[in-house]
Amino acid sequence: MLSIDSLGADPSYRPKLLLVDDDEVSLMLIAVALRERGFDVVEAGSGDRALQLLTERPTDAVVLDAMMPGRDGFETCRALRAMPGHEHVPVLMLTGLDDNASISRAFEAGADDFFVKSHQWSLLAGRLHYLLRAAQTRQELERSKAKLARAQDLARMGSFDWRRAGDEQAGSFMLSPEGLRVFGLPPHGALSMHQLLRMVPEDERRVVMRMLRDVLRTSTVLATDVPVTVFDGRPRIVHVEAEPEFNESGYCVGYTGIVQDVTDRRTAEDRIRHLANFDALTGLPNRRQLVWRAERALDAALRAGHQVALLMIDIDRFKVINDTLGHAAGDDLLVEVARRLRGCVRHSDQVMEGTLESQGSRSHRSLEAVGRLGGDEFVALLPEVGSEADAERVAQRVLDTTREPIFVGGQECFVTASVGIALFPRDGATVADLMRNSDVAMYSAKSAGRNAQALYTPHLAGRGREKLELESALHKAIERDELVLHYQPKIDVRAARMVGVEALMRWNRHGTLVPPADFIPLAEETGLIVPLSEWAVREAARQAKAWLVSFGFADSVAVNLPNRLFERSDLVEHIHQAASSYGVPHRAIQLEITETGLMRDLQNVIPSLHRLNEIGVEISIDDFGTGYSSLAYLTTLPISEVKVDRSFVRDLGITPQSSAVVTAIIALARSLGLRVVAEGVETLRQMEVLHRLGCGVMQGYLFSRPMPADDLEAWLKNTILPRRAPWIGQAGTLDVADEARAQTLGR
Amino acid sequence: MSFSANAPDDPAAVLDAAALARLAELDPQGSAGLLQRVLSTYATALERSRHELLLARRPLQPEPLRHLAHTLKSSSASVGALALSALCAQVESQVRAQPAADIDTLLDAMQAEMHRVAGAVQAMLRV
Repeated sequence: MLSIDSLGADPSYRPKLLLVDDDEVSLMLIAVALRERGFDVVEAGSGDRALQLLTERPTDAVVLDAMMPGRDGFETCRALRAMPGHEHVPVLMLTGLDDNASISRAFEAGADDFFVKSHQWSLLAGRLHYLLRAAQTRQELERSKAKLARAQDLARMGSFDWRRAGDEQAGSFMLSPEGLRVFGLPPHGALSMHQLLRMVPEDERRVVMRMLRDVLRTSTVLATDVPVTVFDGRPRIVHVEAEPEFNESGYCVGYTGIVQDVTDRRTAEDRIRHLANFDALTGLPNRRQLVWRAERALDAALRAGHQVALLMIDIDRFKVINDTLGHAAGDDLLVEVARRLRGCVRHSDQVMEGTLESQGSRSHRSLEAVGRLGGDEFVALLPEVGSEADAERVAQRVLDTTREPIFVGGQECFVTASVGIALFPRDGATVADLMRNSDVAMYSAKSAGRNAQALYTPHLAGRGREKLELESALHKAIERDELVLHYQPKIDVRAARMVGVEALMRWNRHGTLVPPADFIPLAEETGLIVPLSEWAVREAARQAKAWLVSFGFADSVAVNLPNRLFERSDLVEHIHQAASSYGVPHRAIQLEITETGLMRDLQNVIPSLHRLNEIGVEISIDDFGTGYSSLAYLTTLPISEVKVDRSFVRDLGITPQSSAVVTAIIALARSLGLRVVAEGVETLRQMEVLHRLGCGVMQGYLFSRPMPADDLEAWLKNTILPRRAPWIGQAGTLDVADEARAQTLGR
Repeated sequence: MSFSANAPDDPAAVLDAAALARLAELDPQGSAGLLQRVLSTYATALERSRHELLLARRPLQPEPLRHLAHTLKSSSASVGALALSALCAQVESQVRAQPAADIDTLLDAMQAEMHRVAGAVQAMLRV
């Protein structure tokens, strides 16, 4: 057979001819003439011989004498056409002059062309070349047709041709074998347009029919996906794409196009769309889908002039549930809450993007839904509310349904929710505004005690915005070097000397110092407390070294750390790094942890405490007495110091309970060998009482306010050394003045 | 027409010069000895045809006769035996048109011409 580029491309290629003639003279002459013209000729003296040769060697074309004794040219041609692989080999029949009968017989027998025997060899050669080229083109077409069929088959695609019924012709509908397969039919089956339309489910059929009529009426291109139930009963989606064909007078006579089974693609697309728009855990619309719906709802509300409500719903203390029962139970709980929340609104799972506009003025109602933003945060979108009372009614349903006991993790759980409500257009012009403001309202419900709903008010917004600004500024505080540590001395009153300092963080924001109470809670909430604390440890170590150099400071700097830092396994390493990089011993850093912080997560904190203790870092319990810790626990903890909470100190001499508590603390500390430090000492009276009760180390405004590092040396020089402070005089009456002076001066 | 078997005609009078020249063109250098090969092949085929003609005449068998005439017609034309080729064509068409008709006269003429051509070819092959 002909190879693809055999002609033209390769001039050295000699097409293989089989020349058949019973006339030996002709055979010889033609063979010679054609060899001369670049053909590779094999001669056969009879039809039988020719058929035999065909099976023995590849042949690109056959030149066949029509008139031969025995099996003549026509017979030979018919026979070779019946041979496998020779259905399309080009055959040129040689006939006599004016032999019209032979010419038509030749074509009937399957010959491709004829040539009247003459000595015009060049003509014959030209004719053969043309035949070969045509055969090659045909073969390529066959191949690409086969490829197309194969490709169509793989793509579950087939072609069709539809002819319109006209004056002179009946209408017709033809599907290629691949097309028939799309509809579950064998290759030789048949399918009428009528049968095809019957495969479309009834309710869809009307839509399809209407669309087909529209397309036909306007003679436009058809491109649509049609759901069908194919012959084996499977529901499939078939994509139909067709172009109109016109006759000379511009009249549309039919359509040709393709049908393709796109079920799998559509399934995948639907899956992807679903994944992109719905929460995997609860199946509810996710943030993206919810925002999309909310935007549509706002558009509709703007046109129709009604209000939209956005309800931000948050499960109260979900983290506690998750931590206690485990994440699997937490997930179960979310799924159940999601199920209940759906029941609180006219939830629509699907919103067809295209149909929204076409469904008329009430279509925005199909946007109504509950979605999950993530974690335990849900949002209900109410696309049309008459007043805030409508929204509050839904919010109340949410609160009520959440309160019902939920059975998860093998036990009944009682959860509550907090709901914040924002209305469009009153509380925000954009989805982002409404989300933020409903969030603000939700937080106000939470801070008002949870299990409640709250409407957004501008008053709340102020706070929210302030907080946001503060948060973003705090993020940059470290890198901008806006944080500073101030230091408050711890005083051994009896000896009238400084025994250490507590470092207190200040934020120098736009030239004013922000007190810790204004940003530490936010830092805790946002997690910024971690980098902040780490910075404080480094800074404290640096300062300890600086003071050591400038005036021989050898005490420790106490740094307050939140309990979550003690949970970090790298805390010990971090402190070691900080201390060694500034060349101070580990004990130059003391760590303070509040009693409540310590007790909140004792089991996770204890290992850190032990390791810190091992490397020489002392631990101090801050705000001692305020927590509900079992005091017995203290015996097992590697701590060095307890600090009596300032509230007891403040009330000393005012309420008898405070002195009782302080006495108890001191007694306990003593029995455990712990140092006791009193905080917030402001008056001489407080100092005297504490001293009398047995507490010798104090901290407070009486001695010094927290001060910048540079001021500490001057303070020592001006206050401690000259023993000029009023409290020192008082302390003197305690008969320790001399000792204190001796010790301080001895430095 | 009568037989004159022993006095071959001048080949130039029997075989067309133009046709022979065309044959020569197929083998310009004569290196392949094409003309010789064609003529000897023709001579053999002609000899066979003379036999076949005798057999096909007694009794007259139209189909073999027609084939014989057809084949000889084209090969004769190829070597320039134009008169013979013409006679063959006449026989061929007459047999096809009226298979049962008496064509003895025509066949006699054909036989005589075959004889002449054979002589001329032999003469050329001897050159």
